[in-house]
Amino acid sequence: MNTEETILALNQHFPALEAVSNHPLRIFTVFTTPAAFEEALHFANLTLGYHKGKHIIGTDEGADIGISYILSNDEDVLLVLRERVPKSAPNVRSMGELYPSLVLHERELVDLFGVQVSGLPEGPRYPLPDCWPEGEYPLRKEWNPAYFNKQTVTYEPPKEEDAK
Amino acid sequence: MSDREKNERNHKVVVPIGPQHPSLKEPGSFKITLDGEKVERAVVEIGYNHRGIEKACESRNYIQALYIIERVCGICSHAHTSCFCQTFEDLAGLEVPRRAHYIRGIVGELERLHSHLLWLGVASHEIGFDTLFMYTWRDRELVLDLLARIGGNRVNYGVNTYGGVRRDLEPELMEDVLHVCDLLEEKLKYYADLAMTESTLIARLKGIGVLLPEDVKKYSAVGPVARAAGIMDDIRVTEPYGVFREIAVNPVTDDHCDVYGRTLVRVKEMLEAIRLIRIMVKEIPDGPISVRPPRKLPVGEALSRVEAPRGEDIHYIRSTGADAPDRVRVRAPSEANWHGMSHMLEGFQLADVPIIIAAIDPCYSCTDRAIHLIGDGVNQLTDWAQIRALSIEQYKARGIDPGSIKIREF
Amino acid sequence: MLLAIFHVLVFPGLLFLGAYSFLLEFVDRKVYARMQSRKGPPWYQPLADMLKLIGKKVIVPRNAHKFFFAALPTVSLAAVCAAFLCIPIWGGTAITAYSGDLIAVLYLLTIPTLCHFLAGYSSHEVYSTIGAFRTLTQMFAYEVPLFMAFLSPAILAGSWSISGISAFYAAHPLYTLINIPAFLISLLTSQSKLERMPFDAPEAETEIVGGALVEYSGRYLAYFRATAITELTAIASVLAALYLPFSTGTPWLDFVLYLGKTFGIVLIMVLLRATMARIRIDQTLKFFWSILTPLAMAQMILNLLLRGGLGL
Repeated sequence: MNTEETILALNQHFPALEAVSNHPLRIFTVFTTPAAFEEALHFANLTLGYHKGKHIIGTDEGADIGISYILSNDEDVLLVLRERVPKSAPNVRSMGELYPSLVLHERELVDLFGVQVSGLPEGPRYPLPDCWPEGEYPLRKEWNPAYFNKQTVTYEPPKEEDAK
Repeated sequence: MSDREKNERNHKVVVPIGPQHPSLKEPGSFKITLDGEKVERAVVEIGYNHRGIEKACESRNYIQALYIIERVCGICSHAHTSCFCQTFEDLAGLEVPRRAHYIRGIVGELERLHSHLLWLGVASHEIGFDTLFMYTWRDRELVLDLLARIGGNRVNYGVNTYGGVRRDLEPELMEDVLHVCDLLEEKLKYYADLAMTESTLIARLKGIGVLLPEDVKKYSAVGPVARAAGIMDDIRVTEPYGVFREIAVNPVTDDHCDVYGRTLVRVKEMLEAIRLIRIMVKEIPDGPISVRPPRKLPVGEALSRVEAPRGEDIHYIRSTGADAPDRVRVRAPSEANWHGMSHMLEGFQLADVPIIIAAIDPCYSCTDRAIHLIGDGVNQLTDWAQIRALSIEQYKARGIDPGSIKIREF
Repeated sequence: MLLAIFHVLVFPGLLFLGAYSFLLEFVDRKVYARMQSRKGPPWYQPLADMLKLIGKKVIVPRNAHKFFFAALPTVSLAAVCAAFLCIPIWGGTAITAYSGDLIAVLYLLTIPTLCHFLAGYSSHEVYSTIGAFRTLTQMFAYEVPLFMAFLSPAILAGSWSISGISAFYAAHPLYTLINIPAFLISLLTSQSKLERMPFDAPEAETEIVGGALVEYSGRYLAYFRATAITELTAIASVLAALYLPFSTGTPWLDFVLYLGKTFGIVLIMVLLRATMARIRIDQTLKFFWSILTPLAMAQMILNLLLRGGLGL
């Protein structure tokens, strides 16, 4: 299924996704809610034939965390499906059953963005070390590497009183 | 009951391979549960080399980020910068001069040669064939010396910049490129012949680490691993970029689906790389080698990919209009091949584990440079103090005296 | 009496064994390096390595058996030295020649392998245990063809002593040609006994980090290394005595001939080491049991028939 056909099919079934393409082999959608996203992802896998899970990109969207899943099919079209979850309660479901290759990237979301992924298979964490402090997610924009102490592996931001 | 007790009761042994192990040139941990000599379960633990490169890029401007991206990998540094520059140029709408595309192509194919030669050496060392290891690494030096002459360095050449390349190829240098191609082609044909006839080599490589075409799709393996299963995923063919829009690449695939197939694919790809280099050197057009890039990118995002020696390399840049990227994401090809690793290991013998791991060509860092010339007593190693003294001398020659600046001791 | 002690301790006994082993190890390493287009070590490198290793600290693992851990290297070195004394070097007869010494030599040369196994097993470490079991598995694979190949010339010669066999073939040089298959089989099995490429699965460094001797260090490891290099010399000497027993009758000329023969055998062994990949332990087993053992058996039967047929 080529780019135009995919866009047509996606926009027909999920108008909220607003799938667009700026390149012959790329399709981008807008950020949507986890529920709508999961439906679209299953549709892409089962109906459109996007069987290869290429990648997951986490982004910091201010109050939210954006998660872009990059899927691909036999014609090597890259389809970027996205969802958005609030930073305060970033809960998503693992897509590991549909795409075993995305499990590693989901672990990355857990470690680097603090996203709670339910349904992840058991296994070692990735990529941060075991001694990494709880609750510190380095790829969130508010996390500043300057406050990280490499010797003690602790994150010590200045307290608000000190800042005043 | 803990895992350990369970294993002891079932007479199972858990062999830890790594994080430090002679067969791994890079830290990575594999917990292999053995039943006799057979691998029953393999747990892959990686992440020992996580350096926070993406975070580092976000807090620096684009020019600085390019130098960090060059250091993502010690072997395919050019592929990463090519991909990053391509993503940048895509966002900025830059038209790269044709000559720059050709130079990128030549350096990229030379890099593929040196990466695959390195792989062939490592793989033959893993199966205990040290003679082939020494031969390939000796031949790899030819390519490395050439790359050092092009970019001034053996692995991080720094050839790419936004909007083109930083170094031009002189005519005499191109003569030498052709000369090295001739030398290498002869040797590569010998290795290809060896790979197809040497019986102990075939006995060790054939039928192990099998990843069938459906598994390749399931675990989304890329590069030689996918091509050894007959799946053509070479980005130079499926989505031609740069010079490959003008010069067609002959796709190389194989249907063995195992480590032997991956070896054949890599050897044939080297011969193909030599063919491509010859055409590129012959056809290279005259003209400028770069255009001036903007300092800031317009708001937007771009996703781009390049065929690195190990497979498909995906880069993502998101810009908010500032002079630093808002988000940089690198999907190195090795990362994609880890997913199927447990599947590839399970059911084979402990003796096959190192070569199966090596067969996806996990990225090693070999950025050290140490040449000690035998015989004439010339030592090329320069220590930190000597480098500093040399640079002070250079600045003095230009009329600046940095000698009074105190530097922090490391 | 004094002369006998000189023979045992200096020449052609233990001191000669040590010196010649270092020389052969140097040849082995240098030729191997040149075949790989490397520069290779200087001539004194084996000796320097050994001295350095002897000077290093010995670490005994906490849960290893202290006495066994220390005794095994010494026992295996002593076994090889004892075996070497039964091999004729100077003047046609060995220092301790007796009838049936070929069997004794073969058994003495098995002791280092068993010591390797025990050393690995008593180290209580996962890599060394796997290495130990591979050593033992491989021993069961090569021991049968090795014995049959080494005994075939003895059957034809009708003597169980190495000196006697040498004397027989020196008298009938043409009969040596019959033993060529046995010679090739014993070259391969010796390669396996010495755990050299392509049969070095028991100590494959990229898989099990060196195998049975992982926990050894300092002078104990040095003794094991000394065992390995003297074993190479001993086996090359046995091969030379059994399969290339040409002699001139003059002791010093025979000695030069002996040096040439052992050099040649070591060169073939280096060639084998340099041109092959390490084969897996299951492939080793299959190779020895399904190819070499029938061949060795055929050779033995042939020699038995010939002995009867030729009326020797």
